[in-house]
Amino acid sequence: MAEISEAPSTLDPDFDQENMRKSKPGLKRLTLSLAVLFSFLLGLPFLLKSIEIYRSSPPPFREIDDLSTAIESSPILFPCHFRAVFVNFDPNSYTADQLSISVQAHMAKFAAKNSPACGTCASNVTVSVTLDSNSNCISNGNNVDWKCGALNEFKFAEKHEDGLLDEDFASLLDNNSGAKVYTVVAVKTEQEEVRAVVGKYRHAWIMGRIFEEEAIEKIAEIFVNVFMNGGKEEGLIHGEFMPLGADGRIVLSFNLLNADPHNWIYDWDFQEIDENLLSPVIDALKPLADVSVESQVLYHTPKSSFSFWDDRLDSYIFSTKDLPFFVNSNEWHLDTSVAAGGLSKILQFVVYVPSAKECPLQLQLPNGEISTTNGFISPMWGGIVVWNPSACLTDSKIKHPLRYKISSEDSRKLFEVFMGQLRQLFGLKSDGLFVGASGTSILLASERGFSEWELDVLSRQHSCFNLLQCGTTLGSLSRLVQSLPRMIIMDDIGKQVKYSLEAARLTLSNALLGIYDASAESSRQARLLAEDAFYHPSMMSVSYYSFEHCFAVYSPFFLPVSLHVLLAVLREWKRYKQESKKYYAWKAK
Amino acid sequence: MFKCCLHSQLQFRSETSLESDHLMGSREPIVLIFLILISTYESSAKGGIAEELNEEFTEGLLLRPLPDRKVLAHFHFQSSVPPTRIYGRHHHLFPKSIYQLVNKFRVREMELSFTQGRWNYERWGGYDPISSSSAKPPGVELWADFDVPLDQVDDSWRNLTHALSGLFCASINFLEHSTSYSAPQWSFHSFAGKLRYGTLPREAVCTENLTPWLKLLPCRDKAGLSALMDRPSIYKGYYHSQRLHLTSDDFGTAKSNAGTMLEQTLTVVLQPNTLGARAMVSGKTLQPSWSLNSLFGRKVHGKCSVSKSSNVYVQFEQNLVSELKEVRKKSEAPESGILIHDDFGNNTIFEMSASPDRVVKEVENLQKEDSSILLEFLVEDYNDSKPFDLGLRWKLPVVWSCQQAPLHASRFLMGSGNERGAIAISLKSLSSNNTPTVGCCEKGSQLRINIFQVVPWYVKVYYHTLKVFIDGELQSTMENIEKIHISPSEDKVSPGVMEMILRLPCGVITAALTLEFDKGFLHIDEYPPDANQGFDIPSAVVSFTDFQASASFEDNLLNKLPILNELQERKHVISYTEVLLVPLTTPDFSMPYNVITITCTVFALYFGSLLNVLRRRVGEEERRLKSKGDFK
Repeated sequence: MAEISEAPSTLDPDFDQENMRKSKPGLKRLTLSLAVLFSFLLGLPFLLKSIEIYRSSPPPFREIDDLSTAIESSPILFPCHFRAVFVNFDPNSYTADQLSISVQAHMAKFAAKNSPACGTCASNVTVSVTLDSNSNCISNGNNVDWKCGALNEFKFAEKHEDGLLDEDFASLLDNNSGAKVYTVVAVKTEQEEVRAVVGKYRHAWIMGRIFEEEAIEKIAEIFVNVFMNGGKEEGLIHGEFMPLGADGRIVLSFNLLNADPHNWIYDWDFQEIDENLLSPVIDALKPLADVSVESQVLYHTPKSSFSFWDDRLDSYIFSTKDLPFFVNSNEWHLDTSVAAGGLSKILQFVVYVPSAKECPLQLQLPNGEISTTNGFISPMWGGIVVWNPSACLTDSKIKHPLRYKISSEDSRKLFEVFMGQLRQLFGLKSDGLFVGASGTSILLASERGFSEWELDVLSRQHSCFNLLQCGTTLGSLSRLVQSLPRMIIMDDIGKQVKYSLEAARLTLSNALLGIYDASAESSRQARLLAEDAFYHPSMMSVSYYSFEHCFAVYSPFFLPVSLHVLLAVLREWKRYKQESKKYYAWKAK
Repeated sequence: MFKCCLHSQLQFRSETSLESDHLMGSREPIVLIFLILISTYESSAKGGIAEELNEEFTEGLLLRPLPDRKVLAHFHFQSSVPPTRIYGRHHHLFPKSIYQLVNKFRVREMELSFTQGRWNYERWGGYDPISSSSAKPPGVELWADFDVPLDQVDDSWRNLTHALSGLFCASINFLEHSTSYSAPQWSFHSFAGKLRYGTLPREAVCTENLTPWLKLLPCRDKAGLSALMDRPSIYKGYYHSQRLHLTSDDFGTAKSNAGTMLEQTLTVVLQPNTLGARAMVSGKTLQPSWSLNSLFGRKVHGKCSVSKSSNVYVQFEQNLVSELKEVRKKSEAPESGILIHDDFGNNTIFEMSASPDRVVKEVENLQKEDSSILLEFLVEDYNDSKPFDLGLRWKLPVVWSCQQAPLHASRFLMGSGNERGAIAISLKSLSSNNTPTVGCCEKGSQLRINIFQVVPWYVKVYYHTLKVFIDGELQSTMENIEKIHISPSEDKVSPGVMEMILRLPCGVITAALTLEFDKGFLHIDEYPPDANQGFDIPSAVVSFTDFQASASFEDNLLNKLPILNELQERKHVISYTEVLLVPLTTPDFSMPYNVITITCTVFALYFGSLLNVLRRRVGEEERRLKSKGDFK
């Protein structure tokens, strides 16, 4: 207690009272101040911890990252089974194994041309080959159930109807095992013309005077470009934009727009269209999507683009440049449906009946020709068809507008165009022809709108893109949650994320096993759960306790206190230094 | 809790049979007409099935000069569709969104109204069908009746409010909280338990609500009568109410063919543009002359091409007709005395720019010599080159008053301060004018009045303090109340609902009801953004069950038009009272932060001084003081 002791009793002449001291300066007050400061600093993490938002079950960030990297690095590929049947070919020139190997080689070549898109078949395909000639029947696979010699009964020359032939093949190839095997039958006949037809089921046939090499190449192309990739070409809608809602539902909303009811009013019998034409399509799409249909007739709905009169074509023309402005979003109140829940996808199909002052209205293609369908699609939105009434040119001034009904033949035609547009919206071809490197193949159109192999392709792509979407949604969710540490996360969200991850894993395992339907189902589940988690109401509300808020609440205490503590430490430190200098000065003396 | 036990589910019933007997006597002609009506309807309905049921759309406009120099315009649109089980679910005229709404939420009946301004019952009438059906409380009023099991009604209501709020760009979704809607038992409309009623008195109504409403019409405002709806002219009016009424029997077990019917009305009260000085004739001001173009700034260019009928009516009320006769008697030689068809276009009192296609007279079953007159104009014959612009020009001054409701209802607050107060509903007879207590019983029987009132939970009404004053004197409550049903409010759960049938003696001049209340406290989160403005108590509905606001017309009943139908519909005379504004104690919203700040400051002060005390060197300070003293 040097400092507080009484003044030195013995007066030393050398002792400078101002600058010297005899005792060591004490450390008590300094340590006290420092202790307070350090305890504050030590307490700070505890305080921050105590005001942290408690998250009972945070989303499993690591697993999410694992999933998204797994999906992004390798797109999911499905195992596919292919079968080639060579009928009436010379059994001595090639063996079945040789044929199989060369088909696989060609397939690899075709597959290499386009990068492995999401949802196609895995690269290590197996092709089983059957050689069926009059004398013998050789197969290289073990479970090939081709009825040898069955085709001999057919008289190909008599059967020109592709549809009938397709049914015959279907009955012939009908396998009860349930496995999805894609078959191409190459038949050597005496016909000059080589015909390649892809049927409505999971098979195709090539017929005509054809040699083995040619047949192999063609078979490989059909396998890869048609059965695997859905006959898509470059420039068509990319499969990623499949118009399917996250909950796997589509609402097809059909609208009949009368541009100006003062001229004429057209009506349709949609009930009949719905029952006769649409219901098979809806049934066909059932494994892929839950489709519902609604319709309405609207009046006073002019288009918002301009058209001009063309004398040569004797009609009003709108060109492809005008298409972005055709849809008049102000006047066309194609209301979004109450029936469609938040995540459903709505596709609008519009029949536009032009008014008398722009009738007939034709769409001019960039090459100067008139479009045959007189319609166009807008990806993810729907399709529009301009339908010119037959009474167009008789422009008599009618005082009261006449009411007409679109004839059932016309509505059938309209519906066919819509069917093509729907196929295009799904990324499929609508013209029924596949032009490949080795010639043109005919794609038979199903009366159900979609053939089985097309549905397979769609369902594969659907599950793949669902999974991609799920991965990106979960990824952004985890990034968001990690970037906002003060956001409250409800337990539900964590649970949903967990279930979503489980469903995604199930999809992957189903895909490996080649169960398309189950994988589509579980991928849909995964995406739905992921989106539900992302759009959870509690996430949307700003339950975000900002740092500014926190600062404002705690600063009235911590600001003055820290000032005191820091000043105390500084003062004591200064004083200690000063006093020890005095002490050393005295010692040196 | 005490209140609840005492007063919940109080029900009084007394000689209702006696009264109904009496009423039957006076209503016989109506019943007869109804029988004829029903039989003709049935035959037409049967014929209708044979000739295939179809969707229909009609439009109509009713114009009526009002005594206070204003004009009432009442637009009426009706779309109907046969039941789904016969007609299917694809429609050509009926709005898709409404059909989906009805089907999804299984709505049996629904009414939604957006109103701005208050209907002036004294000046614009309180007895006619339009004031009973189209005079609505300010803001939004919604009631709906569902065809779902009782336990799902609330869910359906919540979903419906959300769907409607999206459809009409309004904050109807605020009605989803159980504190904002109620389930009236019998007074509002007689549906057992499946009806929900809610109002938003403060909802601002503007053109963003009108546009979606117009979208439900097949021609929107592009053609037909709705083309008159010029937004600035409509919204500068004194009263504006757009209404949507929906009935559907798609779900009922009854195999009727009524199907779903959507009725849309827009009622506006406009001031004709008189431009400068008022025209004077013999010292009296003339009623303002108007035309469609001067009222709306637009003309009608033909009808909506898909509508079945498109008519404009001009209505002269009963009192106006008798006044017209008086004026004519004075001005001319008393020749025929009755207004004849052909002088409606141009006579000595007024002039119309077009001559009516038809004149429809009201058939009164009460003994009155004069009855109101409807002039019908068909819009069909007009087109772009010859637009329809109806005009009315007065030549002689006419003064008349509207037919009043038996009693004029108003409601006000009593008391001061932020703690307690009282609500008073006063009913006043307007017997000064020439139609006193219309149709009120002669032989001393009583006037029955139905009152329905919803009070938010933060206004804690003590229902036992209910007092009834008749002609200024306090009466025994029990004697004057025939039936009462009270469901007290529950804090933060449900509002308080009071339904009662009040019985008043016949020649009553004033009657008043008072109820005391305490003002509750809200949680800080429950205050609206502008808390200092006060809180609204929705309008009370006062209906006179003994009086029917309906007009029956002499016209042939077969080709009835929906707009006339609406006028002929038998409805009780209903009036809405004012919305009350209750100021509640509003807290200082920065209080929690202030508390935090001051507490922290106190802590900081304590901590700082403690630290300073610990660091203090008492001896040294004393030494210094001493040395200072030594120097001196």
